[in-house]
Amino acid sequence: MRRALGVVLWAALVAMPRPAHGQNSGGISVDAEVIAVGMTVTKLSDLNFGQVTKGIATSVLPTDAGAGEWQALGNKNANVQITFTLPTQLTNIQALPGSTMPITFSATSARWRRDVNNASGGAAFNPAVGTTGRFGPTSNPSLYIWVGGTVTPAGNAKPGVYVGNVIVSLVYL
Amino acid sequence: MSRGLLVPLVLLTVAAATLAAQGVVIAPHAVYIDARVRSASVLLYNPNPEPAEVTISTFFGYPVTDSLGRIVLRTVDRPDSTAPSAAGWIQAFPRRLTVVPLERQTIRLLATPPPSLPDGEYWARLVIAAKGGQVPITGVTDTAKVKVGLTLEVRTIIGMAYRKGAVHTGVAISRLRGAVVGDSLEVWSRIERQGNAAYVGTIHGSLVDSAGRVRAEFRAPIGVYYILEPRYAAAVGALAPGRYWLKLELTTEREDLAPEVILPSAAVRDSVELRIP
Repeated sequence: MRRALGVVLWAALVAMPRPAHGQNSGGISVDAEVIAVGMTVTKLSDLNFGQVTKGIATSVLPTDAGAGEWQALGNKNANVQITFTLPTQLTNIQALPGSTMPITFSATSARWRRDVNNASGGAAFNPAVGTTGRFGPTSNPSLYIWVGGTVTPAGNAKPGVYVGNVIVSLVYL
Repeated sequence: MSRGLLVPLVLLTVAAATLAAQGVVIAPHAVYIDARVRSASVLLYNPNPEPAEVTISTFFGYPVTDSLGRIVLRTVDRPDSTAPSAAGWIQAFPRRLTVVPLERQTIRLLATPPPSLPDGEYWARLVIAAKGGQVPITGVTDTAKVKVGLTLEVRTIIGMAYRKGAVHTGVAISRLRGAVVGDSLEVWSRIERQGNAAYVGTIHGSLVDSAGRVRAEFRAPIGVYYILEPRYAAAVGALAPGRYWLKLELTTEREDLAPEVILPSAAVRDSVELRIP
């Protein structure tokens, strides 16, 4: 069993893109003595409202192309607590300090889904509250998270690029 | 680098390398520190073309269940002296680092517990915050336009346990009950930890008909630090009226953890009859 797993892991390593600087160029003898699994959370896309019109609220739904998206890889069927740290104001980085734009998130601004990278079938939740998600049951368990929101530019909003930061926290339970 | 850390790294890197995105691979997802060694390590790998800024911190918390049976983390900002917190005396080195593209970096965890620390297991949570990339500022050639974009950060929070002396664990199941709701089997129970260390294992539930056939089933990793009253759901097809048995089993088997960190304990089982009218 261990030998078979070692072969699989070695095949995976060979298939992996190698660093240009040859970090692993000496070859790595992979065995399966320890089968601990790691975890990774990867941002797939930022939350992007694009160009917005002054004085008109603009929303991005979690199912829209502009939604922010993460992919988490972890342990089969494991529970993870998903929480967000959300901004209330965005800052214009091309204007003088003090030029801001409010941003809000509704009770259905976020979604999560096991194994399938398609928000339309995901479970909606309030990003301000968070939820408990679960990795998929497949051999490569994953979990996807999407977030949208609404920005309300003032009628006299200064032109430029408004930016902010959304933090997602995944707690391995 | 230990081979034990390399194995999961390879698996996750294969998946992550296909994504031109931000994030670091973290292995393992649970850290156990032996009092005789007082140190451990966590491996980070950046599979992306951009450097990742990483900060490390610790706090005290443990899983509990809310009123809906969801497992959530209870965070204790200021644990008192009775809490088995290791957050105050496990330090990470370095605490701030930049993981350059396609490179690995090791985080060393060093425990400096109080000299009079009694035998037992002590817990903390390790926060790995990764930030990388910037919102592109291109595309606003018209100075009258307003453009909005938000960067997304990631914080991964994994468990740490420090074990000193004799540690043992177990669980007791009570209040097992279930119901078929629509196309799902819902299962509730009360699971109380025994011993002086967290119970880390797997929960397996099944609904068995009078002929012994399994009609619904779920299986999930579980960590019982004090008491959990979790709700589990499993898909179930149409059930004929009659008597069924709802079975629940907890074992200390875990595929995702190294065998040497598992505290073995005898399997615990419970079952109740479920009548479908």
